[in-house]
Amino acid sequence: MAATRRLQKELNDIRQSGLKSFRDIQVDESNILTWQGLIVPDNPPYNKGAFRIEINFPAEYPFKPPKISFKTRIYHPNIDEKGQVCLPIISAENWKPATKTDQVIQALVALVNDPEPEHPLRAELAEEFLKDRKKFTKNAEEFTKKHSEKRPTD
Amino acid sequence: MTENTTAVTPPIVLSNYHQLSLTVESASIRNSGLFKPNPYLQVVVDDKISRRTEVLKNTQHPKWKEDFTVLVTPQSQILFRLADHHSFRKDHIIGEKRIGLFQILLYFNGKCENVEVCIDLLKTVSNENVSHVEVKSAELTLLLDGLRIDPAVLAQIPEYFERLNSRSPLTDGVRARIRLRNSVEVSRSMGHPRPLRPPPSNAGPSRQEVEPPHVTPVTHPPPTQPPAATPSAATEEPLPHGWEMRHDVYGRRYYVDHNTRSTSWERPQPLPPGWEVRRDTRGRVYYVDHNTRTTTWQRPDTERLARFQHWRGERRHVVAQGNQRFLYPAPQPPHPPGQLADNDVEQTPAASSSTSSVGASTSNAVVPSGAGVVVGPGAGAASVAAAEEALGALPSGWERRVQPDGRVYYVNHKNRTTQWEDPRTQGQEISSLEEALPPGWEIRFTEEGTRYFVDHNTRTTTFQDPRPGAPKGPQGAYGVPRAYERSFRWKLSQFRYLCQSNALPSHIKITLSRQTLFEDSYHQIMRLPAYELRRRLYIIFRGEEGLDYGGVSREWFFLLSHEVLNPMYCLFEYANKNNYSLQINPASYVNPDHLLYFKFIGRFIAMALYHGRFIYSGFTMPFYKRMLNKKLTMKDIESIDPEFYNSLVWIKDNNIDECGLEMWFSVDFEVLGQVIHHELKPSGDKERVTEGNKEQYLQLVTQWRMTRGIEEQTNAFLDGFNEVVPLEWLKYFDERELELMLCGMQEVDVDDWQRNTIYRHYTRTSKQVVWFWQFVRQMDNEKRARLLQFVTGTCRVPVGGFAELMGSNGPQRFCIEKVGKDTWLPRSHTCFNRLDLPPYKSYEQLCEKLNYAIEETEGFGQE
Repeated sequence: MAATRRLQKELNDIRQSGLKSFRDIQVDESNILTWQGLIVPDNPPYNKGAFRIEINFPAEYPFKPPKISFKTRIYHPNIDEKGQVCLPIISAENWKPATKTDQVIQALVALVNDPEPEHPLRAELAEEFLKDRKKFTKNAEEFTKKHSEKRPTD
Repeated sequence: MTENTTAVTPPIVLSNYHQLSLTVESASIRNSGLFKPNPYLQVVVDDKISRRTEVLKNTQHPKWKEDFTVLVTPQSQILFRLADHHSFRKDHIIGEKRIGLFQILLYFNGKCENVEVCIDLLKTVSNENVSHVEVKSAELTLLLDGLRIDPAVLAQIPEYFERLNSRSPLTDGVRARIRLRNSVEVSRSMGHPRPLRPPPSNAGPSRQEVEPPHVTPVTHPPPTQPPAATPSAATEEPLPHGWEMRHDVYGRRYYVDHNTRSTSWERPQPLPPGWEVRRDTRGRVYYVDHNTRTTTWQRPDTERLARFQHWRGERRHVVAQGNQRFLYPAPQPPHPPGQLADNDVEQTPAASSSTSSVGASTSNAVVPSGAGVVVGPGAGAASVAAAEEALGALPSGWERRVQPDGRVYYVNHKNRTTQWEDPRTQGQEISSLEEALPPGWEIRFTEEGTRYFVDHNTRTTTFQDPRPGAPKGPQGAYGVPRAYERSFRWKLSQFRYLCQSNALPSHIKITLSRQTLFEDSYHQIMRLPAYELRRRLYIIFRGEEGLDYGGVSREWFFLLSHEVLNPMYCLFEYANKNNYSLQINPASYVNPDHLLYFKFIGRFIAMALYHGRFIYSGFTMPFYKRMLNKKLTMKDIESIDPEFYNSLVWIKDNNIDECGLEMWFSVDFEVLGQVIHHELKPSGDKERVTEGNKEQYLQLVTQWRMTRGIEEQTNAFLDGFNEVVPLEWLKYFDERELELMLCGMQEVDVDDWQRNTIYRHYTRTSKQVVWFWQFVRQMDNEKRARLLQFVTGTCRVPVGGFAELMGSNGPQRFCIEKVGKDTWLPRSHTCFNRLDLPPYKSYEQLCEKLNYAIEETEGFGQE
């Protein structure tokens, strides 16, 4: 299949680069169009846990961008309850066939570490983030402790 | 959709008797006293036939395993009475229950085969307060077998539809399921289980056996679950009947549909209320919607139903819309009234010809009926003969002939038409072919096929033809290029002339019922020889007989063209969210007869053009281009798949050698969950795309993108069209004119338009904006339609007016944006309904530039 070679290469590159913030990448050998992995943020309040994401590549990749969704619940202004995330780098207007998945992941990690309350998916969290950062941080921390996955130990 | 719901007129009677084999298996009686009962079961069918089991002694869990065969009708009521036998006194009733066989039949779609039924038997207890309360006193297990009723018969029972809609017909203490003969139980299964193969890596797929999709699967693991986790079935809705979940060797879930013997990676949604799965006589599965009494091949899901609702909502507007469409000049009936009296139906097309006979002609073809009258540009026979060599062979089905007086004419045997014009040069402007360019000039073509002119004297290029006779910028009152002045009307009259001269005498009757419009039309149109469809049409709607003086057939064209779009037929789809135009649905093959339907629609569309009628909804511009046999360019992709287009443009505009695109001369796309792989050229899988060969790659990808999954369908459509009207007759037109011809124009409500327009970097009162509206108000409808085509990609306005104009990302108002300098031409972005209007210095300049942009053909000025 046409996207396979590109994705195989991207996958190898990402695995070799040993990203600290994206690990435990799981890809079904028979279907390279779906990836799963663990986002490991550095900034509080998300540095208390890790978050599983899924990346779905369309058959027409790289003509069309991949889609990303969170499998682990997260208290974040830019990620909604269903795990949908709005990431400009993979939006229809900005997508370029040369954009690599590791760039996409880095953009995602940056967004998780530093929320962008100006473009929220969850307006109420964005408001709390802007108006009462302490409360937001506390809530997010508790939420992270309760719902997130274990961080890799190494 | 080929099958009408036979339920409407079933031949079989409800009161027919059928055999039912009934096995009384066991019961479980609630403890109610000191002594254990001596139970037996009595079965009473319709208060007539009564059977009973033997009495078992002293048990609360009797096991009889007794078989009875009873005669029943689908409406039979069966009473089960469990009693305690006493030797000395009257038997005591432990519990009873009356059930309608109908509810069980309905639950299993008419098939009572190996159905295990569990019934709660009730006993009436008198309470202290005199009121009677029914309590469950025992549970009975039965096996029903050997009864099979055509669901069509069931549909006659009055409460059939009521029951269907109530979703769970088996309530009220009755439970039923199908028991497999090898005693493995599934909730409902096929009668004869076949070996189910383990999923992948199985060579030689056979139709009879169930396998997971053997194409490369696109898995959509259910959300909220890590990959290794075991599925928590509890959180999900139960599978529909006959479905089963399995795991392949990789542990991936897939779903087996025992009803259709197919598999799918996606979890099936249960059928909506009122829907049912059926199988036709050829064993093909289809779905019946009892709510609307329609059928479809595709399993209904929420998205499909939503589209269907939308489509249905349009219906009430359809006829009103039809009466608003028009075209200038008003289409004339292609048949002179005098011919209506001609009853010689059996005559060949020759009947309409003039008296001039063709020597030695034995075929049906005739001289154009206009013979003797000198018409059209093809009159110069001598020059045509001279150019004959250079033009190459005639298109297939065509023949060149010569009249006794030496005049050449052309016969099309496919559709039995004749004409003076050479089909190879039809629609070409001879003048522009012949006239020489001034010295130092050269004609070139852009990649997109647009002609431009190079002036080597000044080293400049221009789109304007430098030749003296050629259209050149503004002329006339508001600057219309000369070519345009004569074009559309002239072209239309050429086309009409050909229609008229190939008209056939007499008429054909098409009788339809409104409820089965599509089917009736299909059968009658496909039954006739195609050329007969050029006879005058006489449309009759059953039950509303009246004379068709045109109004009825106008309505028929409009209604049927809307029907074609019925999403349940899966034949056409909307191009995308911003584009209400139709394109062929690559998934149309779910309808096994789709090619025949496309051929039918091709005939029908040709009839609309031929008879000067309009259709409700038009096709995409690339589709019209295909009809005109024009080359499709990258630009054409933009209107149907802007995302894909953007990526192509990026590849074109950037040096790709350093980007690691990892692209090869092969591509994939997905239809109905299957990934279809395609090599763009032989061994394309092995050839990498580089900066050096990307031009070729882009060309091949463009070609593929515009035709993938729809080639067969398109050919069937064109084939059907060409049987009625030669495709060559369309060559006078460009794709936009073809849309206007087919859809007609609408009175455009300029107030509504202006009210629903937004501005960027302009305001409502900017002088360019004021001029723009002044310009719009002074145009005629045809030009307004053209302006709309230029900006929005179609001449049609949504039913709800300009407020409902859609863009590629949802609703998108008509937008005018200030862009560029006054020397620029206006541009448009059809995906966003946006006009880039430079800040022109005067009203006259604005008119000139806009006119030029609108009237110049394809792609030019558009971005």
